[in-house]
Amino acid sequence: MPEIILKHVSKRFGKFVAVDDLSMVIDDGSFVTLLGPSGCGKTTTLRMIAGLETPTDGEISIDGKLVFSAERGIDVSPDKRDVGFLFQNYALWPHMTVEQNISFGLENLKWDKARTASRVAELLATLKISQFGKRYPSELSGGQQQRVAIARTLATGPKVLFMDEPLSNLDAKLRTEMRSELKRLHAETDSTFVYVTHDQLEAMTLSTRTCLMKEGVLQQYAPPLEVYHNPANLFVADFVGNPTMNFIEGVGRDVNLDEINLSVDGLDMLFTPISGSITLRDNQAITLGIRPEFVRISGTGKGKARVYAALPSGMETVVKLRSGSQLLTSVVFGAVDFRIDDEVLFDFTGESCIVFDSESGANLAIGTLCIV
Amino acid sequence: MTPGNRIRFFLRKPHNVILAMLVVTLTFLTLFPLLSLARDTLIVHPSEIMSVKGAKIGELTLFHWKKVFFDGDTSRNLFYSPLWNTIRVSLWSCIIAIVLGGSVAWLVTRSDLRWKPFVSTVFIFPYIMPSWTLAMAWLNFFRNRLIGGAPGLFTALSGIETANWFAYGEFPIVVVLGLHYAPFAYILIGGILRNMDSNLEEAAVILKAGRLKILSRITLPIVMPAVLSTFLLVFSSCMSAFAVPAFLGTPVRFQVLTTQLYRTLNGLNPGYGYIMALVMIAIGTGILMLNQWIIGKRKSFTTVTGKSSNISLAKLKGLRNPVSVMLVSFVCLIAILPLLTFAVESFIMAPGDYSLGNLTTQFWVGQGSEDIGGGEPGILLNKYIYLGLWNSVRLSVVVALVAGTVGSLAGYAVVKARGTRLATLVNNLAFFPYLMPSMAFAAIYLSMFAKPTLFIPSLYGSFALLVLVGAVKYLPFASRAGMNAMLQLSNEIEEAGLIIGIPWWKRMTRIIFPIQKSSFLSGYLLPFISCMRELALFVLLIVPANRVLTTMLFQYNEKGWNQYANAINLLIVLIVLIFNTVINKATGASIDKGIGG
Repeated sequence: MPEIILKHVSKRFGKFVAVDDLSMVIDDGSFVTLLGPSGCGKTTTLRMIAGLETPTDGEISIDGKLVFSAERGIDVSPDKRDVGFLFQNYALWPHMTVEQNISFGLENLKWDKARTASRVAELLATLKISQFGKRYPSELSGGQQQRVAIARTLATGPKVLFMDEPLSNLDAKLRTEMRSELKRLHAETDSTFVYVTHDQLEAMTLSTRTCLMKEGVLQQYAPPLEVYHNPANLFVADFVGNPTMNFIEGVGRDVNLDEINLSVDGLDMLFTPISGSITLRDNQAITLGIRPEFVRISGTGKGKARVYAALPSGMETVVKLRSGSQLLTSVVFGAVDFRIDDEVLFDFTGESCIVFDSESGANLAIGTLCIV
Repeated sequence: MTPGNRIRFFLRKPHNVILAMLVVTLTFLTLFPLLSLARDTLIVHPSEIMSVKGAKIGELTLFHWKKVFFDGDTSRNLFYSPLWNTIRVSLWSCIIAIVLGGSVAWLVTRSDLRWKPFVSTVFIFPYIMPSWTLAMAWLNFFRNRLIGGAPGLFTALSGIETANWFAYGEFPIVVVLGLHYAPFAYILIGGILRNMDSNLEEAAVILKAGRLKILSRITLPIVMPAVLSTFLLVFSSCMSAFAVPAFLGTPVRFQVLTTQLYRTLNGLNPGYGYIMALVMIAIGTGILMLNQWIIGKRKSFTTVTGKSSNISLAKLKGLRNPVSVMLVSFVCLIAILPLLTFAVESFIMAPGDYSLGNLTTQFWVGQGSEDIGGGEPGILLNKYIYLGLWNSVRLSVVVALVAGTVGSLAGYAVVKARGTRLATLVNNLAFFPYLMPSMAFAAIYLSMFAKPTLFIPSLYGSFALLVLVGAVKYLPFASRAGMNAMLQLSNEIEEAGLIIGIPWWKRMTRIIFPIQKSSFLSGYLLPFISCMRELALFVLLIVPANRVLTTMLFQYNEKGWNQYANAINLLIVLIVLIFNTVINKATGASIDKGIGG
């Protein structure tokens, strides 16, 4: 079972802490994305698991075998970890043809010629690049190079596949196409994928679990929908989702045992947690987080706002509303035409509105929000 | 993590092993000599026993320091006046080199000049050829009767006697060094102009800026750091030039630091020489630190984008033909004419007489006769010439193999461990020999290895000593070339091999080296050609058994056997040019690429 376990892994470059005390378990057959803004340590983490970077502290095991331990002085070299690595710039060898690029690793495993050739042919067919076998990388388009890189990585049949922003050099259309290819590949190869990206949409759509990092510290490690609907803190809430979450800051006050009343800019709101209760300190600054799809524009809403801007994209329309000094984002299904500065009524729906502690950013409770 | 584990992890990486080995060897071969040089300035040498009163050999003394720096007229003649000469000559040569090289660079990269391939190929000849080539050509043309001997071609053809200041000393040295290093400036500045993103200039065109304004406000400021850095590199090269001042300055006793170094080290006062060597190293180090600082700042504008394929060329309009013709003639004048003069001079029986009846093949294929050149046969029949040629080639090949391989590995390791203190140390150690004037470097090795040192037996007079001094001296070229090669290569190219289990050795030979073979090969080529044409480094270390062509040339020249010297010179120049062309055609590497200082 190629399960990957990280225990208290840290990486320091001089005084700079790239990854700080990271512990996580990557299950067999899962598709895990490491997500975060640039410089958050996600690539370093990936490279440490692959063995390309030596951690400063901690332990890593792959498939039950300890591959790194600072304590016990174990550091298994990358090629003995049975992993594949797909680089952001593909790192194809420019002086070798597509076939040579793919077969080079096999040659090295002392495969005989016939077996190598049939394996290469099989991979070329799988990735739909058979006609390019004799070409050099520079004669291929970005998308084709990407496929060659994937074929090369798969050639030796690694059980774990690491990918470092593999789609970021492709144009938007190709990227969407490759996403579904990768997802299929994951199902077909039955291996574990660990995938680094700064694109939250990629993380949402591809992964079975997302690991969100910030400045070297793990923020949340959960399935993508949980990260989306129940983010661990303000940073996660803000990073994930497009358009981004609405945030309303204010000072809340406990009412009716476990409800909270918050009034900002003439907007009087009542928050009810869906499970458990919530108690605030006196004058505790809180931030309400509301996903755009939970801001509903309707004739019966109790909130009043003016249309600040409307951005129809065909399938949906993003509407920016101004209520007092607050600017709220709402998503309406279908192409609806709003005139700028028209007055509309709105309310909040759903059970996934969140109360964060403004100071620590922690998620305090999740529940319903209504305008009173 | 325990220290033991840390060392184990550290040494698992091949580049760390290379770095560790290099630190030890290079410290022994570069830093240790420097200390030994410093010590040599403070002790009494055997030949100084008469001048330092009441001293014993090997005793500590401040005598040399006092004499060189604080002894009125003696110090002035010995040190200060050569120092000022050096600085003046270097400054003027730099200015000539940069104005000339920069203009040609601009014409070739940014204007619609005609015959660009010819100009850009032939213009760098003077740099590929040994530095004294132009000096000898100058003498062939302009030498006069005042110093003794026959006058040159110019006087023979025009009947005008050249003035001493024109024929010898500061003026010709400045011109010759300037011409020799102009291609160097051309290469560096041209490289920047070629790689500069043309969008930067186009953006100014869109904003309706005139050509001149673009040149002065956009192009020049961007190129400026490169120009400054070129200036410093040319300056330090001029400063350590030996052959040119030796050929052109010695007849009128115009001394610069290097010629003083040769005189003192070869003469009775090596102590003075060692101090001067130390001063030159100090100046060189200072210049290089300044250069590093400037280059460090240059990174703030990323000029290299690789998107510069469609530079719009400046139209020279009416000037196009005149400028093109002038440049081509000029290039022929400095690159091709000198070769002709060597040929002509080598076929002349009695020097100074250029009539047809005076032509002879005596100095090429003649049997030796007692009345000419001490009975030496013509150089194509002279077994000592072949021995010298064989020694030159053998030495250059071995030096190139050693320096190129070590340099490539050093470049690889330094780039892989970029940013660590160890890598910086190795980088500096590998570059240090560049700062040492060849002559001083040779002198130190002479004193260090004349007797058994540590486990190394006495190497005096051996081929191994020549290889050692050459390999260390040219290591900077090779390590720079290796670093350039590695910097252009993304780390992931190697990691892609690492992850699928390709061993280090195979990654180097099958992936890294083939991809960047032209850069790496230039790391072999540069030491090879530099070694073929090196004089100052070997002139102190050569014994008759391992004479090389260049030192033979120097000896013939000193004896005044002008025809032999010209013939040998022609031979050296042709060998160097042919090798450079062949290697360039075969691999794309060339001596003019890869020297970035």
